[in-house]
Amino acid sequence: MLLMFRSNNVAARIFQRQICTPAPGTSFNCARRFYENIVPSYTVYNVECPDHILRKFTEDGLYLVSFSLNHQELVVYRPTWLSYSYTGDDFDAEQLPPKYNKFESFFTQLYTVSLTSIGELICKDFFLYIESKKFGLFATSTAQVHDAPAVGGAIQGVPSIDKITFHLLRMEDGVILDERVFHNDYVNLAHNNGVFLYDDLLAIVSLRYQRIHILQIRDSGNLVDARVIGEYCREDDELLLNSSTQVNPAGNSLLHNQSIPENSFLSGIKQRLLSFIFRKICNEEQDPAMRMQYLKKKFYFHFQDYVNLVIWKVQFLDRHHLLIKFGSVDGGVSRNAENHPAFFAIYNMETTEIVSFYQNSEVELYLMVELFCDYFHPSSANSLNMNFISSHSNNIHACEQLKYNRNKASNFSQFVKKILSTLPVPCQSLSPSPYFDQTLFRFDEKLISAIERHRQSTDHPIKFISRRQPNILKFKIKPGPEAGNTDTRTKKISSFLFHPILPLVLSVQQTLFLQPSVVNIHFRR
Amino acid sequence: MNGGIPNLGFGMGLGSATGSGIGGSSGNGGGPRGGSGGRSWPSTTSVSSSGKRIQKEMAELNSDPPPDCFAGPKGDNLYHWIATIFGPTGTPYEGGLFFLNIMFPTDYPFQPPKVVFKTRIYHCNADSTGNVSLGILKDSWSPALTISKVLLALRSMFINPNPYKPLVPSVAHLFLADRTKHDELAVEWTMRFAR
Repeated sequence: MLLMFRSNNVAARIFQRQICTPAPGTSFNCARRFYENIVPSYTVYNVECPDHILRKFTEDGLYLVSFSLNHQELVVYRPTWLSYSYTGDDFDAEQLPPKYNKFESFFTQLYTVSLTSIGELICKDFFLYIESKKFGLFATSTAQVHDAPAVGGAIQGVPSIDKITFHLLRMEDGVILDERVFHNDYVNLAHNNGVFLYDDLLAIVSLRYQRIHILQIRDSGNLVDARVIGEYCREDDELLLNSSTQVNPAGNSLLHNQSIPENSFLSGIKQRLLSFIFRKICNEEQDPAMRMQYLKKKFYFHFQDYVNLVIWKVQFLDRHHLLIKFGSVDGGVSRNAENHPAFFAIYNMETTEIVSFYQNSEVELYLMVELFCDYFHPSSANSLNMNFISSHSNNIHACEQLKYNRNKASNFSQFVKKILSTLPVPCQSLSPSPYFDQTLFRFDEKLISAIERHRQSTDHPIKFISRRQPNILKFKIKPGPEAGNTDTRTKKISSFLFHPILPLVLSVQQTLFLQPSVVNIHFRR
Repeated sequence: MNGGIPNLGFGMGLGSATGSGIGGSSGNGGGPRGGSGGRSWPSTTSVSSSGKRIQKEMAELNSDPPPDCFAGPKGDNLYHWIATIFGPTGTPYEGGLFFLNIMFPTDYPFQPPKVVFKTRIYHCNADSTGNVSLGILKDSWSPALTISKVLLALRSMFINPNPYKPLVPSVAHLFLADRTKHDELAVEWTMRFAR
């Protein structure tokens, strides 16, 4: 057994695999060690590439999703592999075939679909893959209106988009199965922030109308409304209200005219929230007279602030529980939401109960994130390689890094806020590539990580170092042209697309000006 | 019928009162009392006397709160309160938590406070916009009544609805005709909207 751990020779490892059975439950971990031997160490620089925005590989590695430069069309590729044959005597092991620097040699185009109608563009930051059904969810939208009037129940201070369309596609052939349109609404589409997918359930946050739309994706390819959380908690609440009050329509309309806006009822979710906060504060103090003082200070004084809270972001924790982030209106659309006060509520949408409520500085919630991080990254049961994404609660090295950062932080409460600002986690934002498995490789997380983000590019190659043998460089990823950039002054941005299974990586380097991007393919020769 | 409502029409109404703090400016600039903030006009306004009265009632409420009832000023505005009432046990409203707005007029206690439900309730004395019809908040208001008394009256409204002076006749009718059905609906509403 020990021998197997020590030997890094691939032949020796295969031999070991033949004669040793791995410890129960570790067969996947053992198999993944082979990735130490099979790495994307060869780089094809400046690949001749169609002018597309390369978005990502799907989680099962079957498709490469890209969009046309004019943001109108979806282009889907099947990752293949550079295959070639030699005839006769011209065999040269060092030489790659002449077509090796062509994108088409690695990827086969499956189809092109136009998603947009007049005035709409594809949101290139948005894409969700429903692995179990091999469906893709895409979004198109019209331009944002920033100073949109708050009409029809919309809240003030949130921009409006005339039309946001979600398209559900069968990835196999690009057939559009269903669409869902939101009019005069605002859904934060950047990095999938406003939408969360869990199994077949989809949560879409309408920031403008403060509603969480829960949709179910059926096997047939239909998007079905399951419920809307916001004004009401249960799907038939409104029905009950209408049926109970219908008896007296004349009286109602009369009274309606008299009512001033101040008199509006709390929305369903706010009633639950305020009721939870009230009971919590109430239970903290037992003495009746003291309790009143306590409530006055802790509850009534802040009542309007609680009422004014808006839903920013939502994620599923499981099929019933949602983690909802609440904050002030201005934090919902701004970029650095870290500095705004925010609250987290765990809401059970079946019982319509708030289960717990935390402020964004609460150490208790931070400790939960530190210890049970994976609980906040729920992955579908059938998604195998998603279970191996390194986090600080499943990986000792990531855990040490977090503790190091925590101890280094000058201000612990700021550190807590910073970590909690990552909640709720954006959906499908982590790459399941084994090269980001921190039990196998070590790399500079400032330059590259499993989180899909554009990063500022340096001219130095990014090193992936073996975790088991700390001094052995396994491979390098170098974005940009082979010779480096002659112009060192302009800022360059890189993004990396790692195949979830194969030793295949695309690096895309862009300058901020509209120059063509440099695409490199990194693979194992 | 409309004891508290005419106040809204005057300058000294609720709208101006909600904007001012404890010792803030008076609602209406009649005569010499237009001074705001630090001006040291001799204050003869009803605002300060009503403020004192409300503060006194607040102390009284704190020392001896009625059962199931809680209340306190919203923010730093002494004239705008929020009350919280637990649905009394044994009523269809049990298990619910009801929030109410209480707005004191600047000439309090000579005018009754205005009470509005912020939580939906199935009740013949509270309508579909949250308005409450309660005798002591209207014609039978007396300056001797206090916020504690108002809270107690609201609580007893949960226990004994008054179907003979209803705000929602259909609910009152059901209450008298089919009490079981009425209570079932009230329970349903409480579970859905007041938890």
